[in-house]
Amino acid sequence: MWKRFKHSLKGIYIVYCRELKLIISDMGLLLFLCFLPVVYPLVYSLIYNPELVKDVPMVVVDNDRTPLSRELARKIDACDQAWVRGYASDLSEARRAMAGRDCYAILEIPEGFERSVGNNSTAQAVMYCDMGLLLRYRGFVVAATNVMMDMGAEILTQKIDDTVPLVGTVADGDLLPIANINMGNIQGGFDTFIMPGIVVLILQQCIILVIGMAGGAKRERRTLVRYDADNYEPSIFGTMCAQMLAYITILILPAVFMIHYVPLIFSFPIAGNLFEEMAFLLPMVIACFGLGFAFQGLVTERESVFVCWVITSVVFLFLSGMIWPRYDMAPVWKALSDICPSTWGVEGFIKMSSNGSSLAQVSHEYLMLWILAAAWWAVGWVVQLTAVRPAMLRQQARNIIIFNRLMRSGYFGGKKIQNDRTDDRQ
Amino acid sequence: MSDKDHNTAVTAPERTPERSGSTPIGERGVKAIFLRSLVQIVRRPITWAGFIGLPLFIFLFFASFLDKGLPTRIPAGIVDKDGTSLSREITQTLGGMQMVDIRVTPNSYTEARHAVQCGEIYGFFLIPENFQANLMAGRKPEITFYTNAVYFVPASLLFKTFKSTAVYTKAGVAMNIVQMAGQNAEEAAPLMQPVNISARGIGNPTLNYAIYLCNSFLPAALQLMIMLMTVFTLGQEIKYHTSTRLLRMADGSIVKALFAKLLPQTLIWMALATFLTVWLYKFNHFPMHAGWGWLLLSEYMFVLASQGFALFVFGLLPNLRLSLSVCALLGILSFSIAAFSFPEESMYPAVAIFSWLMPVRYNFLIYISQVLNGDPLYYSRVWYAAYIVYMILPFTMLWRMKKEMLKPVYVP
Repeated sequence: MWKRFKHSLKGIYIVYCRELKLIISDMGLLLFLCFLPVVYPLVYSLIYNPELVKDVPMVVVDNDRTPLSRELARKIDACDQAWVRGYASDLSEARRAMAGRDCYAILEIPEGFERSVGNNSTAQAVMYCDMGLLLRYRGFVVAATNVMMDMGAEILTQKIDDTVPLVGTVADGDLLPIANINMGNIQGGFDTFIMPGIVVLILQQCIILVIGMAGGAKRERRTLVRYDADNYEPSIFGTMCAQMLAYITILILPAVFMIHYVPLIFSFPIAGNLFEEMAFLLPMVIACFGLGFAFQGLVTERESVFVCWVITSVVFLFLSGMIWPRYDMAPVWKALSDICPSTWGVEGFIKMSSNGSSLAQVSHEYLMLWILAAAWWAVGWVVQLTAVRPAMLRQQARNIIIFNRLMRSGYFGGKKIQNDRTDDRQ
Repeated sequence: MSDKDHNTAVTAPERTPERSGSTPIGERGVKAIFLRSLVQIVRRPITWAGFIGLPLFIFLFFASFLDKGLPTRIPAGIVDKDGTSLSREITQTLGGMQMVDIRVTPNSYTEARHAVQCGEIYGFFLIPENFQANLMAGRKPEITFYTNAVYFVPASLLFKTFKSTAVYTKAGVAMNIVQMAGQNAEEAAPLMQPVNISARGIGNPTLNYAIYLCNSFLPAALQLMIMLMTVFTLGQEIKYHTSTRLLRMADGSIVKALFAKLLPQTLIWMALATFLTVWLYKFNHFPMHAGWGWLLLSEYMFVLASQGFALFVFGLLPNLRLSLSVCALLGILSFSIAAFSFPEESMYPAVAIFSWLMPVRYNFLIYISQVLNGDPLYYSRVWYAAYIVYMILPFTMLWRMKKEMLKPVYVP
């Protein structure tokens, strides 16, 4: 028993060493393993790093031209979100500005705006917003709501003082202050919202692309890819383990950089404990390898991973529940999202890193990841057994035939054969 | 890949068995290449997936996934530390709102925060102790609501609901005070909201996420697949050393070879673009204020521009893996850099200039201007012209592509 265990451990070690050598000699894999996890998070973070959408231009059409209407425009301009770029004489001029992308909203103040306040009815103004980007719209709505409430409170106090002077002493200023606190993402920034999840997605896609590409290389003609990528030992499970360990050896540093140093560089919330996060991501990484081994069944060529897999990133992003909450998904998509390692990885990781959840608080996600890891490894094992290994063996046999034929025809040039001969003589 | 490896790469043309061509060597001309290219597409499952399966799946996935427009009934909690008639009234008002689903009623902030951390709820409303008493005595108690802004969409919707509940409460209290002082309730009602600014979203008044995202993400997905498949199919010619035969069939003319090789693909992409347009605006009834002719022209030019861009990348890096990597990188990045969600004027200027790099950006701008806002064509003229630049771009790289195709070197 011990002897068998030792033997298989040795087999794993041999496969591990060979795989490591293969990875290091393969630029394609190294690019995925080192370039992708390092550069992608940086580029994405840089794109979104300004976090907030500020001072979006708007145009005011003031048909009232009273102190109150001017005050309204001034107050909106003073908001962080909006910038009153100027006044337009009428709506069609404002529309022209909007069509030319000089502004993204039009505030139309109708005639009689101040008069309405004077005669105790509600003064109405309309804001037309461009809906191309919801962040711009959101900013305008927040600005308008704040101004509306601010002016409303002011006018209300003034009115109460006018009509029932005594109440003024009671209802002075804001009766009931309302405070809002953003948890996890204090300033409500876009970068902080999207990056923790993106980082986990990048990790998953990186692993699957690498495994897929390596699998494709193994199933191709050796003369084409120029190296013998066949690397296995009798136990399929042992081979899978050894290969995974080899990839993790190289991936560990970029992964730590991605989940710890990128948030440090861009000051994303780091509420979680790094070691707990690593412990949480471990089953996700294992599940991704399982998925990758299963994916190898579809990849017959190195480069086809790009065609088959790159586009799925967008699908995984949506299935992860980061943009659209998982509880509200249609059953079929929810079921699909359940079997993606990234779904649970993203869910748990953002809770840990942004909301400061402990590993115990994400125990559901953690458990799901371990179940997925076991399930994907089982699928991967079956695929390796029934599709990948037979294909590789066939390929190997063909390789030998082709190799011999090419040898005979002098394909490799005379040099190598001559060298062999000199060796023989020696 | 070091130079040494590069040199030792297999350079002998036609030595490996012919795999992707099926026409006899004698046949030449555009028609023969066209047929050969068509056969290459039809024969391999991977091309079926890349040309038809995956793009169609993405189209249907997005439309079906975002079908509801906006999530509703967001799980939330309320912490009522007051337990008076007023605080219960607030709880009831909140519970009656369409957007929230009050799932838990924790006893303390700590419990509520725990529920947020576990992901049970996306936010909670906190009514402090002695709320009613303090309010009536004018001691200004503070209502606080917490939203988990880590989830942007549910948090924004919860914020809106919580805020309006708080504002209603405030208005009710103010009403009470005014009434207590002897003012008539009906007269006082307009006082509660003296100024109102109503926001109208042009083209998408209900904030429908399907309308918002499908129109930018689907063309971006199409662009990604166009770029990947263009480079993939051309790279295959070099990988399997069939590019020399391709050039021979085109009588040595690279323009002829590329034109005939890519024509079947262009037709497939145009059919997909037509399907996408009809699917979105006819079948799903997304807002559509443009003329069909101009819209389809934009989509077709977009297809050609994406192919042009991919050809340019392939000319720059005639290595199959590298050019695919670059196309994948740019294609995936364009979902972010083309400013579909974060506006380019808010990005760092040094980053924002790259938002103009990809063809899909112009597709998006034409969509907003023409389709969503219904602006005159005049305002999109520059973006239509931008497509033409992408179509011209590969002509600067023809010499290089020809060189590489004549002496194909595959670098794994």
